[in-house]
Order: sequence, then structure tokens, then C-alpha cells
Amino acid sequence: MSTLAGQRRARTAHPRRQPSWRRLPAAPLSLAAGAAAWELIGHLAGVSFFPPLSTVLVRLADMAFNGVIFSSLGDSLLNLALGFAISLAAGLLTGVAMGRYRRVEAALGVYVYALLTAPSLVFAPIFFSVLGEGRGSIIAVVVMYAMFVIIINTASAIQSVPAHLVEMARSYGASERQVLLRVMLPAATPMIMAGVRLGIGRAVTGMINGEMFIAVVGLGRIVTEAGGRFDSASVLAVLLVIIAVALGGVALVQIVDRRITRWIPKTSRGDR
Amino acid sequence: MVRTQTDPLGSDDYRKERLMIEIRGLSKSFVGQDGGRVEALRDVDLDVGENEFLTVLGPSGCGKTTLLKAIAGLIPWQDGDILIDGTPVRGPGADRSMVFQNFALLPWATVLDNVAFGLRMRGVGRAEREERARSLIAMVGLSGFETKRPGELSGGMQQRVGIARALAVRPRVLLMDEPFGAVDEQTRRLLQEELLAIWEEHRLTVVFITHSMEEAVLLGDRVVLMSARPGRIAEIVPVPLQRPRSSDVSALERSGKYVEITAYLWDRLRDMHEEHRPATVAR
Repeated sequence: MSTLAGQRRARTAHPRRQPSWRRLPAAPLSLAAGAAAWELIGHLAGVSFFPPLSTVLVRLADMAFNGVIFSSLGDSLLNLALGFAISLAAGLLTGVAMGRYRRVEAALGVYVYALLTAPSLVFAPIFFSVLGEGRGSIIAVVVMYAMFVIIINTASAIQSVPAHLVEMARSYGASERQVLLRVMLPAATPMIMAGVRLGIGRAVTGMINGEMFIAVVGLGRIVTEAGGRFDSASVLAVLLVIIAVALGGVALVQIVDRRITRWIPKTSRGDR
Repeated sequence: MVRTQTDPLGSDDYRKERLMIEIRGLSKSFVGQDGGRVEALRDVDLDVGENEFLTVLGPSGCGKTTLLKAIAGLIPWQDGDILIDGTPVRGPGADRSMVFQNFALLPWATVLDNVAFGLRMRGVGRAEREERARSLIAMVGLSGFETKRPGELSGGMQQRVGIARALAVRPRVLLMDEPFGAVDEQTRRLLQEELLAIWEEHRLTVVFITHSMEEAVLLGDRVVLMSARPGRIAEIVPVPLQRPRSSDVSALERSGKYVEITAYLWDRLRDMHEEHRPATVAR
């Protein structure tokens, strides 16, 4: 969990006086540097596997104008949305049950950790044979990728709810249901949301892998087909779209997170 | 019971000479970290009168918090009975409420929602619980802070919220677990005076845990002195200081009786510490 904690840790405060370059916005600067490096290396290397950024962007514009990207993107986003919704619902329920009840954790913990670390694509043939080559198999792969990290974060979050808050609620006659809904869930929300953020990133990976290896549809299909033609510019163009989808998903989760964890004092939020 | 609008606690303004809490032969032990049995409480007998302010004093590990949690119905015990107004304690009940040392406020909830928490758990409707919460917030001097969250309040203000939350459910018994242990000395003085004023006006039975001799004498009608290993009642010391005390706490603290009782309590406590010097503790 240390990486999760790290994400929430406040950035160190800027010293009072600092060189002027330090005051420039870091993220746009880093993006510009990355883009320049890509362009330069692409030109210098001169290999077909690594075209410069400008070539990739031109290809992306082509694909956007002739509609290839958007029809595939719609397909992919539907797979992603359905798979992530299932991961979220099942992940939260299982995680809360594991965090609250020791017996549930003892019973399910070994499976959850095993499946978290197992390469999810191993199960692709099983899904393929059971669910066919349609949407169902891709969604199943998305769930395999996204659900377990949500389960584990939710369980840890519930377990680390301060015992004195639960005791307080019980002293005021709270039922088990009230303890869960009014105390444990709100207290656990920040850490649960950290897991959900990791989950959305993994869901995007699952979506692409599912589309590429099981059913050849969506963005995954474009990648597979372009890869077969050794058309690196198209592969990288789609990769940019995939990254945009992933970042969009994470941004969406963050907006929700910020809305429901407004109560966290600003001093301990850091990155907000 | 007829309750007037002006009295947020709805308490009766008279004192009956009858028992509110009866504790008979209470024993509680648990398995310690080294695997041995720890006797938290051994054969504790205690009566608390209705509307009495009882303070409980003792070294750490004497089981005073265990005793309070048992009265609150939060923990099980092996032997003995606890009766509240004649009814055996089987779990937490609407007749008791608790104030915690670390405040135990919900950090995401506003002051209003924190104070109304106990009422909400008991199924009181929104309009009524917010009205009651507002009058309690006014009583502890936090009007205007209803929409603030605990993180925006000082420790003293947070404990005022904790006290308002406990009083909002109109308990007959108020259980306080070192409530002023986590606030600074000046705030502590103010809170002591305010608690006395609230109790003098509304009258309810209070069991107040503390590790401060001065606080025990200043607030209590009687001081229960507990000793550790096993936790049991060593002595019950009456505090024959006049009431009301909230109007002039400083004069009270200079009085001969106050000084005498505090000194006596310290003598007793020091004896207990001598008995439990690490070298002489039987393992």
C-alpha cells in the first residue's frame, strides 16, 4: 500500500526563494520536452518502427477524419464502461465484506491475491470458450484486470477505519448497517478511491488486451491490423488515443473523488 | 415527563435520593499480549446516586476505562451485574451516552451532523434532530459553527461538540472518559467550569474518569480511587465542598478542604505507585 500512500502524500512545499526555471509549470514543460525528444529521436533513428511524432499526429488526424477512430472508440468505450462498472460494483461489495468480516477475508483473500498477481490474459481462452468472441469476453477480461485492485484497496480501507469511531457509533446504538453506511464507508472513502483510480487504469489495459487477443474489435482491432502491416505510425496513433482514454478515465475518477472527499483538510490532501 | 422548550436536556430540576447505577461484583479479565490473563477488574461494587457527579481516579492500567466501557455496554464481562435504574445492562442504551478522550468526531460531518449523530442512530427525524442539535450547540457556545467540520476546530471546541452530541440524546447517565485529557490547560479549566455549570443547571448522573486529582476533587461529589493489577476500588473519598461550584472555581481551589482532599488523594496514589515499582511487581 505504500505506493497508494505515496500518491496521497503532500508535495513538499516550495522554498521561499528559488531559481526562475523552478517556477515554470512542470507538467506542460515535461510534455513539451517529451514531444521534442520523440520527434528528434524519430528523425535521427530513421527506422520504420519508430516514426517521429509529427508523422504519428498526421496519421492520427487522417484516422480521425475518415471516421475509423471514432467508430472503434465507441465500441471500446462501451466495453470499458461495462467492464469497469462490474468491477466497481463487485469490487466494492467484496472488498467491504472482506474488510469487515475476518471469515470472509480468510475465505476469499487467497483467491483475490492470486488473481491480482496472475497474468489476466491467461484466462482469455476460458472466457473465449465460455462467452464466445463477442463483447462478453472482452468485458470479462476488463473485470479480471480491474476488479482485484479495487477489492484489495477497499478491504484495507475498511480495516483501517479508526476503531474509536466504530466504538463511538456503537455507544450511540448504531446497528451493524448504520456502522457500515454512516461510519466505515465514509471513513474509508479516500483510500477506496485510490484503489478505484488504479482500477480505471488497469481497466483500460484490460480493454485493449481483450480487444487485441480475444475479439478483434474496437481500438484493439486497429492496433492488431496496423501491427500486421508493420504500420507503426497507426499503432502509435491509436496508442495516443488509448492514453487519452486512460487519462480521461482517471480524471473522471478524480472529479468524483474530489466531490465526495471534500471534508479532508486541505493541508493533508497535497495534490488537490 | 413534561419537558419545557427552554431546557434542551429536558431534565427535572430536582434531585432524588435513589440509585441510578448499581454495580455488583463486577469482574473482567482478558488475555494479555504475553498470553497470560490480565485482571482488568476484580470484584467491583459501586453505587452511583441519581444526579450524582462521580469521578474515578487511578493510575494507568487500573481498569477505569474498562469500568466505564462496561457501564456503557460496549464490552462484555465475566462476573457480576450492572444495573441502570434497576435494569441490567445488556449493551449500549438510550439512557447512557459517552464522551471520549480523543473526541471521536466524524471528520467528514459538520458540527451539526456530529451533534445530531446519536439522534440519527436512534431514528429521530431530520427536523427534530437538527432543532435539538442546534439548541445543544448553542448551549456549549458553538453557535455559528454549525457548518464547520471538526478539522477546522480547536481541540477544546471539538470536545464541546463531543459533549453536545452526548447531551443531545438526553441521557440519564453521562459517561466521560478523560474528556479533557487531550486539551491544553487553559481550555481544560474553561471546559471544567462549563461542565459544572451545565450539570448544575440540568442535573444528570455523571461518571467521569480522570487521572488528575485536582479535576477529580473540583468536579466530583465523591472520588472513586482505583488501584491497578488487579483493577479494583481502593477507596471512595467524599468531597464535602459546597455546590454550586461553577461560579467561583478559583476560591474553591484555595479552600482548606480542597487542598486537604487533593493532598490525601496524592498520598494514596503515591502509595499505589510505590507498591507497583517495576522491581516489586510479581509476574
